[in-house]
Amino acid sequence: MNALSRWCLQLRVMFGKELRQLGRDRVLLAFIVYAFTVDIFLAASGVSLQLKLASTFVQDVDHSSASRELASRFLPPYFQVKGALEDERAADAALSSGRAMLVLTVPAGFGEDLARGEPTHVQLQVDTSNAVLGFLAASYAEQIVARFGLETQQAGKTPLPVIENRTRVWFNPNQEDSWFMGISELLNVITIFSVLLPAAAAVREKERGTIEQLLVSPLTPLQILLPKVLSMTVVILAGTALALFCVLRPCFGVPMAGSVPAFFALTALYVFTSAGFGLLAATVARNLAQAGMLTILILAPMLFLSGAWTPPEAMPEWLAVFTHFSPLYYFINISFGLLLKGQSVAALWPSVFDMMALGMAAFAAGLLRFRRQFG
Amino acid sequence: MPDWVIRSEGFGKRYGKRQAVSGISLAVRAGELFGLIGPDGAGKSSLMKAVAGVLKYDSGTLEVFGTDMARDAAAESVKARIGLMPQGLGQNLYGDLSVEENVDFFAKLRLVPDELARERKEKLLGVTRLANFRTRPMKQLSGGMKQKLGLVCTLIHAPELIVLDEPTTGVDPVSRRDFWQILAELVSSQGLSALVSTAYMDEASRFARMALMHEGRVLAQGQPKEILALRAGSVVSCVPHEQVRARAALAANYAQVEALGPRLRVFVPELAREAAEGAVTRLIDAAGGATAYDSGEAELEDVFVALLAGSHTSADAGEASAAPAAAGNAAAPAIEAISLARRFGDFVAVSDVSFTVREGEIFGLLGANGAGKTTAIKMLTGILPPSSGGGRIAGVDIARELGCVKSRIGYMSQAFSLYLDLTVSENIRLYAGLYGLTRAERAARLDWVLEMAGLHALADTLAAELPMGQRQRLALGCALVHRPRVLFLDEPTSGVDPVGRRAFWDVLFRLSRVDGVALLVTTHYMSEAEHCDHLALMFAGRIVADATPGAMKAALEQDMGALYEVSGEKAPAFAPVLAAAGITGVSVHGRNLHVLCRDGARLTALAGGQGGLQVRARALTMEDVFVERVRALEKEAGR
Repeated sequence: MNALSRWCLQLRVMFGKELRQLGRDRVLLAFIVYAFTVDIFLAASGVSLQLKLASTFVQDVDHSSASRELASRFLPPYFQVKGALEDERAADAALSSGRAMLVLTVPAGFGEDLARGEPTHVQLQVDTSNAVLGFLAASYAEQIVARFGLETQQAGKTPLPVIENRTRVWFNPNQEDSWFMGISELLNVITIFSVLLPAAAAVREKERGTIEQLLVSPLTPLQILLPKVLSMTVVILAGTALALFCVLRPCFGVPMAGSVPAFFALTALYVFTSAGFGLLAATVARNLAQAGMLTILILAPMLFLSGAWTPPEAMPEWLAVFTHFSPLYYFINISFGLLLKGQSVAALWPSVFDMMALGMAAFAAGLLRFRRQFG
Repeated sequence: MPDWVIRSEGFGKRYGKRQAVSGISLAVRAGELFGLIGPDGAGKSSLMKAVAGVLKYDSGTLEVFGTDMARDAAAESVKARIGLMPQGLGQNLYGDLSVEENVDFFAKLRLVPDELARERKEKLLGVTRLANFRTRPMKQLSGGMKQKLGLVCTLIHAPELIVLDEPTTGVDPVSRRDFWQILAELVSSQGLSALVSTAYMDEASRFARMALMHEGRVLAQGQPKEILALRAGSVVSCVPHEQVRARAALAANYAQVEALGPRLRVFVPELAREAAEGAVTRLIDAAGGATAYDSGEAELEDVFVALLAGSHTSADAGEASAAPAAAGNAAAPAIEAISLARRFGDFVAVSDVSFTVREGEIFGLLGANGAGKTTAIKMLTGILPPSSGGGRIAGVDIARELGCVKSRIGYMSQAFSLYLDLTVSENIRLYAGLYGLTRAERAARLDWVLEMAGLHALADTLAAELPMGQRQRLALGCALVHRPRVLFLDEPTSGVDPVGRRAFWDVLFRLSRVDGVALLVTTHYMSEAEHCDHLALMFAGRIVADATPGAMKAALEQDMGALYEVSGEKAPAFAPVLAAAGITGVSVHGRNLHVLCRDGARLTALAGGQGGLQVRARALTMEDVFVERVRALEKEAGR
């Protein structure tokens, strides 16, 4: 048997072994299937970042027709007026107990001031413990009040020239949260498994002591680690296919505007990249629990530096630099480019190149540490 | 009615589908050191946990101090009178607390009044010789010291019954002897009752009474001599001229034949010593003859194996071919270690280790935990690069041609590193593939391994479902799949029952004698060291003795004297008499004393003065050699 066919045979039996072991682990398999189907379905259908029926209370001290008119403009779908409040104390209580998200206070004399054409004011108290929703509630409410003020002022006068804004929404014409959330969640799941699975597979060998058995056999460190990454890549690609063709397209109509084979090829590359980080963690950890905690430590910055939750432009400058060290940052560009925008691979080339460089560095570091650890 | 501390009738416990123990009936008297002896998975822990009131059971009755343990409230009421030390080194202790803080914590937990706690702590720390280490954190203690501290913490609330689950597992032989000595002292001086489990058959003599357990059942119960009487017989050993042929001739007639280095040892049921020796001589004379005949009474392990053989089929894995043994003298060196050394930072794990193992030789590397055995093996197998020195495998330099060396060696590590989630045949095929065997070779070797390990019927069973003995043989098969000329075995028999261990050594015997494979074995079962042709004793990273087992024993006898057993009703009371007479090598074994002394006549005279005592010579064991040598070295290092 020549050297090459021997090398391939060794790689093949290791690859088969990894897949078999994963296949026997019912709990892990069930978890993988759950993550790629139910979890993504829930994220796409359930999580919404839009303001819906924010519970609003009105403390109307003025009791004028103007104040009633203003309060009546807080309408569904954004707002829902749940009731009136007697005094400040009740307003405080409603806000701190969480019954109210927004409290509108109209002071005495509001209607008269308006009628006289004099400046006047109202108070808006917003619960912004959820920063996104709070921000939306505050700005929508502001718009409503401003518009009310403008209309009252204009009433009975000749209309001023008005600029009408015509917005064109690209790539997600109905601005469906489910597309963004579904794809984001898919990318998160891919990331988690591509770090966790190879790390777990490598640490299990360490824990059981089988790693020594492999080290005394004529295998190189690359032949030990590579099959783990390859087999887990296959599993994750299968999961991705499941998520795309059984959940995202049929249930939510995600368009997949670009080349699907290109998406899978780049996903494979991404899994390979992230697996390097997982293997690095496995060389440090002594057991499965430690590996689990280390991967969380790796995943957390990888996810929030990626731009999935906060665009890099919104980060402090020094932190934004680090987004370039998260492979997910590039993969998000690639995935949204391919799935929603229908970009060609050529256009995404810089992202692909950077991601590849990062992955090779991590994989090489993991291999080096493994080699040093086990001679 | 005698004062029973523990009584059980038909006790049973199952975990899910698995029946852990069933039909256990036993009784422990007050003031008794009672032993549960059996391999891993025999059900010892389940029984002990139930006795301590921390495990519910499914069937039968269990009474402790006359209280029914099935009722929670009642069980709670007797817990104050029980002390439990769970399995595992320092498992119930806190690593970051010091020795003293650990003891204080357990005293407070058990609501012992401060004054009383202080008094007991001083006494117990004194007895266990831990008083000098009271400020040291528990995690920095040696295994033996952890177990002694565990014992102190178990005794701090002055329980009447202590339950110790495998207190000596993972502890080196010197500390083990020390532990037993202390335990025997405490039991007799405080009127304690103790239920103690062990997986080491050679510790059986420590107990006043015992139960032999196997696969959830009690095989036999009683005093050592009562158990020995269940399968009366004698043991004959000799050095045959043609070992393989002689072994085959004996095995055809007797179920228990073992090869111990150049010797053969056979258990002859029912016959007394002379008759047994005669019967064996007749058989061996027809198969090449032998010299150096010796005979003695059967040991507990022989009886245990005989009892097991009655309960399931004998694990005789095929028969040795009648090929002549490889000529021992002319054999080429297969493993050479040349001044091997390994440092981890400032710590010297192995220093200047040199030895040679020839083809067809079984070489044993002995030493306590941390003596450097595993590190030495890892360097020779290429897992760990040496800091200095080197080695050759079958004449090939390890450092220069590691790849070539790797395909010539087999390695079986501690804990049988198999893939438990793969089936038997998948495991074998995996290793066959890793060693680059061709398709035809792979099929042939798969067949060979299944045959050797007796696993044909279980080829598609997950490795996780095999009992330890079969797992061990599968691991051996995987290590042999590429026909290595050199085989490294790192503690290959941990946790395997005696029958499995003997079957395993039979396979190793055939490998070395028939196939001429060189074997390097490390073990902490000192009784197994007797199987080796040659031994090296490691201490603190160095080899301190290198000889045959026989030569090592002879040297000890030269230095320290012979071993005698003093038995009889008044034997425990004889110990102070011996101490007064200046005889120091005394240890308590159940109701007997073992005495190591140079002047046998004087010992007999002293015993004669007491009346009712019998003195008889006992063969030295490798454990005696190991313990005495290491004690001498420790004394030296201490100065």
